[in-house]
Amino acid sequence: MAHAEAYKDPGTPQEQTRRVFMANAVVALGGVIGLGLAIPLITSLIPPSDANVSEWSPLTPDEVARLKKATDKPVKVTFQLHETNGYFGASDSEQFVWAVKTDEAKIRAKRPELFGGVEKVPYPVVNLGFAIFSPICPHLGCRYSWNDQLNRFACPCHGSQYTNVGEHVAGPALRGLDPLPLRDFHGKVQLEWIEYKQNTPDHIILKVG
Amino acid sequence: MLTWLDQRTGLVTMTKGFLTEDVPGGASYWYAFGSATVFALMLQIATGIFLCFYYAPSTATAWESTDYLIKHVPAGGLVLSLHYWGASAMIAFMTMHLLQALLWGAYKKPRELQWIVGVILFLLTLVLGLTGYLLPWDLNALLASKVAIQIAGSAPVLGPAILNFLQDGNGIGTLTINRFFGIHVWLVPALLVGLVGLHLVIFRWNGPAGPPIDEAPKLKPGRFWPEQLFMDTVLSFAMFVIVVALAVFAPAPFDAKADPNNTTFVPYPAWYFLALYALLDVVGKFPSAIVQIATLFATIIMPGVLVLLLILLPFIDRNPSRRPSRRPWILAITALTIVGAIGFSFFGQYNVVEGQVAHGLVGATAGNAATTGGAPQVETGTGNNPNGGGAAGGGPGNATAGQTVFTTNCSGCHGNGSGTEIAPPLAGSEFVTGDKDKLIGIVANGLTTKITVKGKDWTGNMPAWKGTLTNKQIADVITYIRGAWGNKAGPVTEADVAKASK
Repeated sequence: MAHAEAYKDPGTPQEQTRRVFMANAVVALGGVIGLGLAIPLITSLIPPSDANVSEWSPLTPDEVARLKKATDKPVKVTFQLHETNGYFGASDSEQFVWAVKTDEAKIRAKRPELFGGVEKVPYPVVNLGFAIFSPICPHLGCRYSWNDQLNRFACPCHGSQYTNVGEHVAGPALRGLDPLPLRDFHGKVQLEWIEYKQNTPDHIILKVG
Repeated sequence: MLTWLDQRTGLVTMTKGFLTEDVPGGASYWYAFGSATVFALMLQIATGIFLCFYYAPSTATAWESTDYLIKHVPAGGLVLSLHYWGASAMIAFMTMHLLQALLWGAYKKPRELQWIVGVILFLLTLVLGLTGYLLPWDLNALLASKVAIQIAGSAPVLGPAILNFLQDGNGIGTLTINRFFGIHVWLVPALLVGLVGLHLVIFRWNGPAGPPIDEAPKLKPGRFWPEQLFMDTVLSFAMFVIVVALAVFAPAPFDAKADPNNTTFVPYPAWYFLALYALLDVVGKFPSAIVQIATLFATIIMPGVLVLLLILLPFIDRNPSRRPSRRPWILAITALTIVGAIGFSFFGQYNVVEGQVAHGLVGATAGNAATTGGAPQVETGTGNNPNGGGAAGGGPGNATAGQTVFTTNCSGCHGNGSGTEIAPPLAGSEFVTGDKDKLIGIVANGLTTKITVKGKDWTGNMPAWKGTLTNKQIADVITYIRGAWGNKAGPVTEADVAKASK
């Protein structure tokens, strides 16, 4: 049989119209199927509503006692971060933050950017007489520590340094340390874990809780 | 733009070449089943990829990740149900395609190898159905797959080796899930795609067979594009609509997590295995002297011979004619097989339902009912037990007594099931209708951690009722709330409470 015999005869005008309709119908039906399938599939990629819900983590009485020991010199305060990890559900992992005893006037003087403009944070920076700083370096995300000799926070990765109130004074970071919310909830002291985007001067929330 | 692409790749010319093909005797919907099967395969691959973004194969995570997908992922349950019904659609349309090729005599020279590749594709698709069934790791997945694995293990010569591979030498466990997962997601899809490609290449070489007459090659040809492809698209579209409708109105079943010690759950195979399941059942009732050999016959020998006959059909049936009037034998045997398969399938379905009635599972969700041990009970639609008082220990809780317990102790905070500012609602709550042991834990031991009920968070101060209420009272009130306000979950027994409240 010779190849594609059926295509040699162009056919009657009626047949030609039918063929145009069929060609269009194939594209149209195919499009409907594609759309009908794409909607649930793409929807399933939306993060579930229980991910990243605002989460205040409580401090145990021991941890609160430790917090109260903070002075001008920061102390490390540990707590159990209650996280949901996909289908593993809720789990607690140990986390720590830096706490400094200070007042709003002091911080406002040194770090006015936290109170207005691009680097502003939408919650009080000083609560219950303390400022809490995220242990994640705002440069590229390493954990940093307090260096007694330098009297600064110093990050081991790329050498960024911050004062005891988190003011950026040396190294490649583009903003100072990120403060975290602290509150007294019916007698329980709680802090909120928030992760901000690295390596940018503004505070862009990546993850809460 | 297409010219620009074609100059550099030749793809447009190639596609045009594929599409300009003759269909002897004109396009027909009878020929559309093959492409509908390919469409079903693409549907399965698309939904399967997205399922892979959430599913984790292990005994600790298989059920949990599936549960998470259904309950927490937006449209997750829908994607799962599309995949579930898509599997049935693929096997249904593939069977129609096989029957069409068989009845049209399209397996005769020169298309023998085309047919053999097709039968292999059919078998591989059944393997996909079998392996996919285990992955959710719910009660049905485990118990139904156990049967299939035992059958595979009883094959002569290779049986023990197959059993070892499927059971990792240790019984059905996490490695079984992993191996089924690897087969289902990687190995067979790769083989399938490769063989479908071969199937299409051979098809193109020989051309479509056309109507079942011996003068088919001399008929006036129709056009593949757009006439045949239009019919293919219409059939695929119809399949798509049916699969979506089924997925929306009959979501994929998902029972409680697999528990090898469960004695009440009646497993049900996929519909395409019902006939084999029914045969197994019949043969299992034979006298003990011959039951072993009869079972081997029913599960290995007969299906094995059938598959062999199917593969070798083009070489067994040497009749050169394609006309039905000249092929009475093959048509009679085919008709008999179809009738037998359908008959046995209905019989198999009847057996499954009968088994569920005997275990008191009719009218209730299998998972909840199956995990309440003790005396079997028939549940009414609301789950309230019609008996006056539950028997001690084994009997289910008494919902009527439970209502009194609720009004006295619980309604202060939980209102009449719809909750208040200080306590979450119980009507339609996943905590009430879900895992009964978890619920018993909450009522008996209290709850101070955060939970999410129907999309809202609650940080709890649920007091512990163990000690204040007896185990019987806890069983009664839980039975009550699981069947009230439209909740349709099974009762719990005093024994359940004693066990789960430790």
